[in-house]
Amino acid sequence: MNKSLPLVFFLSMAIQVFASIDTIAVDVGISVFKTMPIGVVPFTEPSGTSLDWPDEKPHEVAERDLNLSGRFEIISVPKFDLVKLSRARAKFYVTGKIEKALNNKIKMDFFLYATQSKDLILGESYTVSLMDSRKAVHEFIDKVIYQLWGAHGVASTKLAWVSKIDGVKQIVVADYDGFHRRQLTFDSTISMMPVWSHDNERIIFVSFRNNKPQLYIKDVATGTQKRLFKKFEQTFSPAVNPKTGEILFSAISGGKTDLYVGDPETQQSRRLSFLKSSQTSPSWSPNSSEIIFTSDRGGSPQIYVMNSDGTDMRRMTFMGRYNERASWAPTGDRIVYTSMDDGKMNIYTCAIDGSDIVQLTSNSGNNERPSWSPDGMLIAFSSNRSGSNQIYIMRRDGSNVTRITQGGDNTAPTWSWYPIENQTKQKEGKE
Amino acid sequence: MKSIYALLIAGCVVIGLTACSKKKEPVVDPVVKDTPAKAVTSEKPAQTKEDSLASLEKERLEAERLEAARKKLQEMMDRLMSEDVYLDFDRSELTEEAKTLLTQVGEVLNQEPRFTITVEGHTDARGTEDYNLTLGSARSTKVKEFLSAYGIAAERMETISYGEEKPKQAGESEDAFAKNRRANFRVNVK
Repeated sequence: MNKSLPLVFFLSMAIQVFASIDTIAVDVGISVFKTMPIGVVPFTEPSGTSLDWPDEKPHEVAERDLNLSGRFEIISVPKFDLVKLSRARAKFYVTGKIEKALNNKIKMDFFLYATQSKDLILGESYTVSLMDSRKAVHEFIDKVIYQLWGAHGVASTKLAWVSKIDGVKQIVVADYDGFHRRQLTFDSTISMMPVWSHDNERIIFVSFRNNKPQLYIKDVATGTQKRLFKKFEQTFSPAVNPKTGEILFSAISGGKTDLYVGDPETQQSRRLSFLKSSQTSPSWSPNSSEIIFTSDRGGSPQIYVMNSDGTDMRRMTFMGRYNERASWAPTGDRIVYTSMDDGKMNIYTCAIDGSDIVQLTSNSGNNERPSWSPDGMLIAFSSNRSGSNQIYIMRRDGSNVTRITQGGDNTAPTWSWYPIENQTKQKEGKE
Repeated sequence: MKSIYALLIAGCVVIGLTACSKKKEPVVDPVVKDTPAKAVTSEKPAQTKEDSLASLEKERLEAERLEAARKKLQEMMDRLMSEDVYLDFDRSELTEEAKTLLTQVGEVLNQEPRFTITVEGHTDARGTEDYNLTLGSARSTKVKEFLSAYGIAAERMETISYGEEKPKQAGESEDAFAKNRRANFRVNVK
């Protein structure tokens, strides 16, 4: 008994060390954003019994959410500490109280306080199972963001990406922080380029199941799926219209690639580009009146913009020989794209007239497939900087790079839309 | 004069026949009408059973010959792959070696009209998946266009782009990149 005690101690240490290695890598870069300092005080748990949290404790989930949001600087204090919070200029702090509830559930009370006055700014109560505890924290943090920033956060949104499972590229979906990952495709052939349908209920992706790249749409909950736009043999690069749900895509026809827009319900489509060169990687402007895409009409891939009916085309990028996969920020003011220099891919943004180019990634392997968060604050992308392809999230200025996947091979993240109710709320707020 | 009579008689017979069939038509059940036609076609091979055996043997020999020819063409195409006739980075133009070998492929395709080919375009891992699918398509199309110009019907050639998804050699070396920029061929028999 005496001999086994140190062993047990050692084992628990080993598990501790492993757990700390397995946490996310955070690289806090210099940000042009003004972040808001906010205190996080660990949530009180019921005394006597310890709760078996699925992965992280609620205050850790809250800290992760606040950090990933790109809006806050976290001041962690083990308990309420007026001096420390005041010194760090944290005008507000979040905390909570966890209690056991009936039917194996827990009652989670979350609070946002003003540090000086100790006034309660926001209080929320959720009674959930342990498994849903993360979801409850996400919802609360989005309410905190709405309270303090007047904007909708993205803590309750999702990501889809491509993960190699047994050597085959499959589509997976997960919470935006990489947790609660679920495999969506189970094919023996490659699946890639996932994007979310307008209602966040389906994923549109490219499958090689017929030995050719072809678009499919699959319901996330039920798994029912169908092929899209069957009149084309080869289709890829899907992009969903943020207003109507229509799908922009590339199709190879007559030996060259062109842009088409189609309705996933009626399967009707029409051609948008009529150049001799190849056009691909389309993306909508947030009000869906314009389209940005890549064309090699000038001899190398460059980014162009045109009206959504295909008229008034003009070139947007002139720097470098390879600019591809542009994506318009939901805020409308910037465009993110991938540029290749010396064989390495890096992520850049520019203003919508192509000026004010900012390089967001450098000297860190290949950085590809940027995808905007629905609030336009963040960019998800994949990078092989750690030696393998993994998914990262950064602020729109390239700071606060945070890895959200561990191990395996993960590429091509795409952010979900806001839930439909938020989309309408936002609309109302604007009008 | 005689021929005019013959024509007239033939014409009468035809009219008579059509008149007959017109008269009978309402009586005959349309479903039953189909069966005699079927019977006729099924009778034919029975009548020439020995002929069909001979033709079967002929077909078998022909199939063997085709398979041998297919193998020869596939070998030729495999050589096309192994001769380092690759395409330059971000380019879809064919090299001179590629053109020489494709001319030989065109010859075989001219000799064997039952062959169709699938041309798969591939790229190296650099660049985006989207643009590489476009580039793979451009490469396979260049091959198709070359063979078209040689006189091979476009319907006999299918082009598929795999982009960067099926590398021949893994890794990030220049050597691997060069090996992965390629067009693959598959020979099918119609």
